[in-house]
Amino acid sequence: MKRGHGETWDPPPPSREGPSMVDKKMAAADDNNNNNSNNMDDELLAVLGYKVRSSEMAEVAQKLEQLEMVLSNDDVGSSTLLNDTVHYNPSDLSNWVESMLSELNNPASSDLDPTTGGCVVDRSEYDLRAIPGLSAFPKQEEEEVFDVEEEASSKRIRLGSYCESTGESTRPVVLVDSQETGVRLVHALVACAEAIQQDNLTLADALVKRVGTLAASQAGAMGKVATYFAQALARRIYRGYTADTDVSFDDVLQMHFYESCPYLKFAHFTANQAILEAVATSRRVHVIDLGLNQGMQWPALMQALALRPGGPPLFRLTGVGPPQKENSDSLQQLGWRLAQFAQNLGVEFEFKGLAAESLSDLEPEMFETRPESETLVVNSVFELHRLLARSGSIEKLLGTVKAIKPSIVTVVEQEANHNGVVFLDRFNEALHYYSSLFDSLEDSYSLPSQDRAMSEVYLGRQILNVVAAEGTDRVERHETLPQWTNRMKTGGFDPVHLGSSGFKQASILLSVFAAGDGYRVEEKDGCLMLGWQTRPLITTSAWKLAGAAESRR
Amino acid sequence: MAGSEEVNLIESKTVVPLNTWVLISNFKLAYNLLRRPDGTFNRHLAEFLDRKVPANANPVNGVFSFDVIIDRQTNLLSRVYRPADAAAGPPSITDLQNPVDGEIVPVIVFFHGGSFAHSSANSAIYDTLCRRLVGLCGAIVVSVNYRRAPENRYPCAYDDGWAVLNWVNSSSWLKSKKDSKVHIFLAGDSSGGNIVHNVALRAVESGIDVLGNILLNPMFGGNERTESETRLDGKYFVTVRDRDWYWRAFLPEGEDREHPACSPFGPRSKSLEGLSFPKSLVVVAGLDLIQDWQLKYAQGLKQAGQEVKLLYLEQATIGFYLLPNNNHFHTVMDEIAAFVNAECQ
Repeated sequence: MKRGHGETWDPPPPSREGPSMVDKKMAAADDNNNNNSNNMDDELLAVLGYKVRSSEMAEVAQKLEQLEMVLSNDDVGSSTLLNDTVHYNPSDLSNWVESMLSELNNPASSDLDPTTGGCVVDRSEYDLRAIPGLSAFPKQEEEEVFDVEEEASSKRIRLGSYCESTGESTRPVVLVDSQETGVRLVHALVACAEAIQQDNLTLADALVKRVGTLAASQAGAMGKVATYFAQALARRIYRGYTADTDVSFDDVLQMHFYESCPYLKFAHFTANQAILEAVATSRRVHVIDLGLNQGMQWPALMQALALRPGGPPLFRLTGVGPPQKENSDSLQQLGWRLAQFAQNLGVEFEFKGLAAESLSDLEPEMFETRPESETLVVNSVFELHRLLARSGSIEKLLGTVKAIKPSIVTVVEQEANHNGVVFLDRFNEALHYYSSLFDSLEDSYSLPSQDRAMSEVYLGRQILNVVAAEGTDRVERHETLPQWTNRMKTGGFDPVHLGSSGFKQASILLSVFAAGDGYRVEEKDGCLMLGWQTRPLITTSAWKLAGAAESRR
Repeated sequence: MAGSEEVNLIESKTVVPLNTWVLISNFKLAYNLLRRPDGTFNRHLAEFLDRKVPANANPVNGVFSFDVIIDRQTNLLSRVYRPADAAAGPPSITDLQNPVDGEIVPVIVFFHGGSFAHSSANSAIYDTLCRRLVGLCGAIVVSVNYRRAPENRYPCAYDDGWAVLNWVNSSSWLKSKKDSKVHIFLAGDSSGGNIVHNVALRAVESGIDVLGNILLNPMFGGNERTESETRLDGKYFVTVRDRDWYWRAFLPEGEDREHPACSPFGPRSKSLEGLSFPKSLVVVAGLDLIQDWQLKYAQGLKQAGQEVKLLYLEQATIGFYLLPNNNHFHTVMDEIAAFVNAECQ
């Protein structure tokens, strides 16, 4: 006798104290069933991380049984095969099981679309040989600071386009078991931020000085974070924020950040993995990098392409950067260096630099795409959130990206909500986030200290922006995966799931490059997250045009 | 074999709700993929497949959580769950370790299951379970992210449990107002239950006061094949073969299942007679193939003069406590609440 769906269980006796979340959900599930809307996900499984529609439960059970039978009939072989395949999106149980069944029934088929979950045989030739190591070419000499007119604007932009997080927000906190001074320090910081929130600037001023004193005597990551936050708070109190426009120094800082900790390496690596999969059979690849910076992502991709059996495709790179100052064209210079690198690898290479004040200034024609012959990739690492500072900008950019019809769009963003409307909430979020980041830097004992020092400056700038800036100046408007997912879907994109092979290789990358033990890779909804301890910090996701099939040209 | 397999599968389907069956079968399937015949474990795939949730300092249904690094050297983390103050808003980062507010506040040190190899403190199934325990018992729950086999064999998991027990015991913010002491309970399922026993042993030897042990389907074993193992092999999600695999992965290389960690009342174990061992609540599922070992455990405690309550749930399978959709779940939750709150008279 087969049981029906979850609703045939005995309900708990009414004497239970208070309605529990689960009891409520079960009641809701009851209502749903009564209303014949079995297209809802089973609530109980959803809490545990599995999305299975109630109406499909029996079907999923049947597939599990089938799979069980196949596996038990051919113990080692099938199990080994499934061990080696690439898995996608385990939350979607139905597709996960289905794809394993397909894999076992038809082993060589790699036509499965990772967008719907599933697995393909892991044929990653792009193995760790293509891991980015030290920068592939000599570091750029520091360029002089250039002045750009300050965009002082105290006007608050209408926050229409920055949606509040859909649903409740999560505050993941990881505490280092702190001793007394750490706690007092955090207390003072939070109290100061509260004072600012209440517009009590006199109190805030007194508190920020106290923070400064406490921070000075606090060793380690906490002291550094507190110092940066204190400086940022002070700037906010005195309304002394000026947009930091020394872009070239930014690039330098980012390079040190790249060297000192695995976050950027992870970002580049996982994005490259997704790109390589998408262009696996393509003979002409065109990558548009929405934030070229020092181009650190591309040598590794070119190496991986060069190693392809059958030889590398033509690799065309369009790099977007900020407006160039007179008598200098750093974009073009970078292009030359990359060209040289490509030549050494034997990869046919084309480069174009596009200077744009804002990504929303970009128009489809500017990219000069060749849709008949090339596979188009759009890549964005830590660029999209900046557009949230101006209403309409992100929509404009996504529209432009959509118009050029890329095969894949790779996005890496900080995993945090630093774009809430309420200052105090942003402050608290940022405090948790950067505390984790600094903590992770602290753990890397083997680093040359200049890298670490510069990384801290790099992060300090972000802190300053999150805390002290407002309006169009505030560009570090980080948002979380659910928020970005919303935007991408609204913009007409569907997810491309990143799978277990990327996960595995990213994990291995971490053990090679990350001195600290606390880095963790997590899979969520087909995306990969890198975190410190249990706190996710950056997320890599991939997207394609809604309705488009996974193209592997 | 196909024929009898079919019978087995349908049998397990009749005793649990369908979504429970899907959940546990999914785990069984995944776990089968992860265990390699040579004794190694596909850890990357395991971490990829495991559904995890972050800690959340924003209260959800009256409970908030945060992670604490207990020991940097071993990267030992624990997740702390606390009841939210309904009146106040979400706790600020400075409030997370506010002193507990109550004459007697039980602190449950929880060890998740997974046969020593699977899951983590931040696995969704265990995050959910721990949250329930908070409301149920009016307790603080500290869930230990112990090191797992086969990468970390005996006694790593016990060492980690011990480290957290010490941390809990010496955390002033966890002290109950009545006597300025921390009121500690140990709880765990499957391998977690095994860890409970072994950490309690160390506590007794070192004079740390543990008020009670809660063991849900605890993982014990021995060299012989017991009647229940033979009778239930492969019938309700678990096989003798996989049990053997996990013991080989956890116990020191070359050891057999008479090792005291596996067999606490076996020929090589120390007697508990005369020790002031904590009172125990032992929950045994009647369709769990290792029940003979679990019953032997309860019996052993009794014979050593220790206080033990055995809760035998005839028609329960492993994992019944993961979803609140069956009577066993509610029965056990009530028993746990009573067990813990017996102290709070």
